[in-house]
Amino acid sequence: MRLGTIGALLGWLLIFLSVALLLPIAFSIYYDDGNWRFFVISSAIGFLLGGTLAWSCVSEPEMGHREGFAIVAFGWLAAAALGALPYYLSGAIPSYLNACFESMSGFTTTGATILESVEALGPSLLFWRALTHWLGGMGIIVLSLAIMPILGIGGMQLFQAEMAGPTKDRLVPRIQDTARILWSVYFILTAVETGLLMMAGMGFFDAICHAFSTLSTGGFSTRTESIAAFHNPWIDIIIIVFIIIAGINFSLHYRLLSGNLRAFARSEELRFYLGIGIFATILVMFANILFGTYESWSDSLRYGAFQVWSILTGTGFSTADFDQWAPVCKITLVTLMFMGGMAGSTTGGIKQVRILMFWKFTRMQIKKLIHPKAVEAIKLDNRKVPAEVIQSILGYLSLYMLVFVVATLIVTGQGTDIITGSTAVIATLNNIGPGLGGVGPCQNFAGLSDLSKAVLIVCMVAGRLELYTIAVLFLPKYWKDVHYPKWRWSRS
Amino acid sequence: MRVIVVGVGEVGRHICQQLSAEGHEVILIDRNADRLKRVERDLNMLCIEGNGASAGILEQANISKADLFIAVTDIDEVNLIACIMAKEYGVLRRVARVRNEEYFSGASPLNEHQLGIDLLINPDQVMAEEILRISKMSEAFEVVDFAHGEVILVGYQVKEGNPICNITLADLKDLRGLYDFVIVAIVREGQTILPRGSDIIQAEDRIYLVVRHKDMAAVEDLFNLWSTAPKRAFIIGGGQVGFRVARAMEKQKVDVALVEADPSRCEYLAEHLNNAVVLNFDGLDARDLLSEGVDTTDLVVAVTNEDTTNILSSLLAKYHGAKKCITRISRPDFIPLLGKLGIDVALSPRLVAANMILRFVRRGAIISVATLLGSEAEVVELVVPDRWLHIDKPLGSIGFPEDTNLGAVVRQGKVIIPSGDTVLDAGDRLIIFSMKKAIPLVEQFLAS
Repeated sequence: MRLGTIGALLGWLLIFLSVALLLPIAFSIYYDDGNWRFFVISSAIGFLLGGTLAWSCVSEPEMGHREGFAIVAFGWLAAAALGALPYYLSGAIPSYLNACFESMSGFTTTGATILESVEALGPSLLFWRALTHWLGGMGIIVLSLAIMPILGIGGMQLFQAEMAGPTKDRLVPRIQDTARILWSVYFILTAVETGLLMMAGMGFFDAICHAFSTLSTGGFSTRTESIAAFHNPWIDIIIIVFIIIAGINFSLHYRLLSGNLRAFARSEELRFYLGIGIFATILVMFANILFGTYESWSDSLRYGAFQVWSILTGTGFSTADFDQWAPVCKITLVTLMFMGGMAGSTTGGIKQVRILMFWKFTRMQIKKLIHPKAVEAIKLDNRKVPAEVIQSILGYLSLYMLVFVVATLIVTGQGTDIITGSTAVIATLNNIGPGLGGVGPCQNFAGLSDLSKAVLIVCMVAGRLELYTIAVLFLPKYWKDVHYPKWRWSRS
Repeated sequence: MRVIVVGVGEVGRHICQQLSAEGHEVILIDRNADRLKRVERDLNMLCIEGNGASAGILEQANISKADLFIAVTDIDEVNLIACIMAKEYGVLRRVARVRNEEYFSGASPLNEHQLGIDLLINPDQVMAEEILRISKMSEAFEVVDFAHGEVILVGYQVKEGNPICNITLADLKDLRGLYDFVIVAIVREGQTILPRGSDIIQAEDRIYLVVRHKDMAAVEDLFNLWSTAPKRAFIIGGGQVGFRVARAMEKQKVDVALVEADPSRCEYLAEHLNNAVVLNFDGLDARDLLSEGVDTTDLVVAVTNEDTTNILSSLLAKYHGAKKCITRISRPDFIPLLGKLGIDVALSPRLVAANMILRFVRRGAIISVATLLGSEAEVVELVVPDRWLHIDKPLGSIGFPEDTNLGAVVRQGKVIIPSGDTVLDAGDRLIIFSMKKAIPLVEQFLAS
């Protein structure tokens, strides 16, 4: 563990975020909301801190897995802390912990908010909220890899710690180029959605903020009522389509854009993901008619499909208060919350590929009861999945359950009721946004205690980085043999 | 014709024997002096000791005068190189045996056309195809397609109590009604009989029929036989042959269980098969075989590399009630014995491969040939030449050669099952069942 490397890279990351903090100033000046000075102050603080760290720590030429984990984990925590400054300084969110919650919810693309009324923030802060989604969606570290040459060393370690999916597809030999490709696909899709939303009748500001939130599967809207505020079926449709796209592995999008249709058709995970979503849509549509939530089939389909895909991918936009739906619909949505989209997408949750392989593993175990001497291989896309991958998935699922149980214990230990407490954890751990009950789509997270909020902040970042990267920090062994940084000013 | 054969394994030996018996000049090249000596003693041919891929040895064999070059050593690369050399020496037709699938793929830049090889033969593939063909007829022990599958030759074992037992073929003719078929041969106690109207079918006979593909079901009905494709199959031995058969059967929605003793091979099989159940135990483990249900399967295919394992596991399965078994045996000398033991079909991969090569080699007037296992007969497909002496005469009057039997005539895609009144025309394809020694006579007869 070389603290010098970690410090230097964290410093560069802060500098990079300080530059990002300058972007909302344009909107502040254009809309004249007066918040520009808070962005300047926040950016200056970030630049100062980052600059000091980057200058004073001497980075060592080698980087291992351990440094990778630490840089990514602390990088995300630092990003949330810095990103909270504009909310706090402007007085929009008086408590710094709440500001951190909002900021972490942004970077991890959760979309859970502690705000009563979103509109009160003003355009520049709303843009900053959406921008944190967009930066965090594809990964702040991956973005830094793509554009900052300083992070060239140990790029693979950082990439793996942030994009922790069970399957790795390296598109091109150099990891920096892979990061660049992913980000450009992401950028193109965002631009396309912004254009389409403007054609459907949104203004540029709303369109770009919602495009940021959709493609990162975040869920922050510029309206308290979320997408329901627009009352426009075209906007619903555009957003559903882009939510589905955002839930698909971005390297598949890249392959499609470079003319390889077969990759799309062959992907078993894609079929599984679409199948789950379509099945849940139909189920919710029928249940909502059956229990009389909606009168017409078209309404039931429109609201059912939107809520299902929004929850499945962990976006968390809403066009209906699903907390008022029939219990069977609610439990369907809670189940979907755990699943997430495909690995390599911007969604949260367990990820379809893990569920698919877990299902195949279970099926194999049952088959073994009938044929004790049978030899079976778990296959994905007709290729054998190595045993280590299956083991890591099983480990992931048990760790997942453990984190869920412990976090729920702490939150309900503060006196929160079962539904609110458990769904608050589910909604943050899976980066969804709204839960049920006290944290339902028309409520917010402000009512929870400070300890609960802190736990949920950890849940968000742990869920976003797929647990292992955060969990490893809690191992005492991880902190053995720490090399203290070599300072630039010390002579020896 | 002057033929050079490189490699004197089972395949090479069988080919040499056939070609030499048919009066061709055969030169045999092999590295193993002992094996050569034995062949030289048994068969009438010139043997040269040495590497078949070396120019010196090939020139010693006077390769530039050869019409046909067959490379069937155990080493793929030697076969390929020998064939490429043969092309340079101007040999007209070249055949190579290649087992490694990687050399085979049509997409590879080094395919057989590029290399100038007329026939690449993979014994495992040919064997698997043969097994699949036979498997589709659960009662038949032999099935051969002719005329692009329009006509088939099927071999059946007649069991005690079958309605066709103890009646003459002439009476059977009246029974057959609308459906046309010809019984071309009866094999009784190892003897092949080309039956006439007065011959009687007895229990335990093996009969060979030529029948139109579409009449198959009706004819089987008449003979009180069933030919349903298997629904459950048990394959013992996961080598190349077992793997290919399993892969093809699972595509045909057959419930396949594949038994293989080697755990790492099992991993490979499980990875490359989808629905087939790969089981890891020895093919002779009776308890495991029974607990997996070998006794209730429609078909057992025993294709391990061990003849003993194949025979014993087939016998075990048959004893416990499996409907049919196909057994691989690498020593063709034992084949006649196995029928007596109750094994339905015994196949030797080398014989199967050799037959395929012979079929290719004989491609002159003869279109295709099938050698029947355990019988000294062959089935050939021939075309009636233009300006043939006997055009426009009824079959009854032209005196077909002895020891042959005309099974079917295919005229412009239509199948005619011949009788004495049938008149042959130029361009007709004849499917003739013939004793091996009579084949040259048939060819002469058609050339006249």
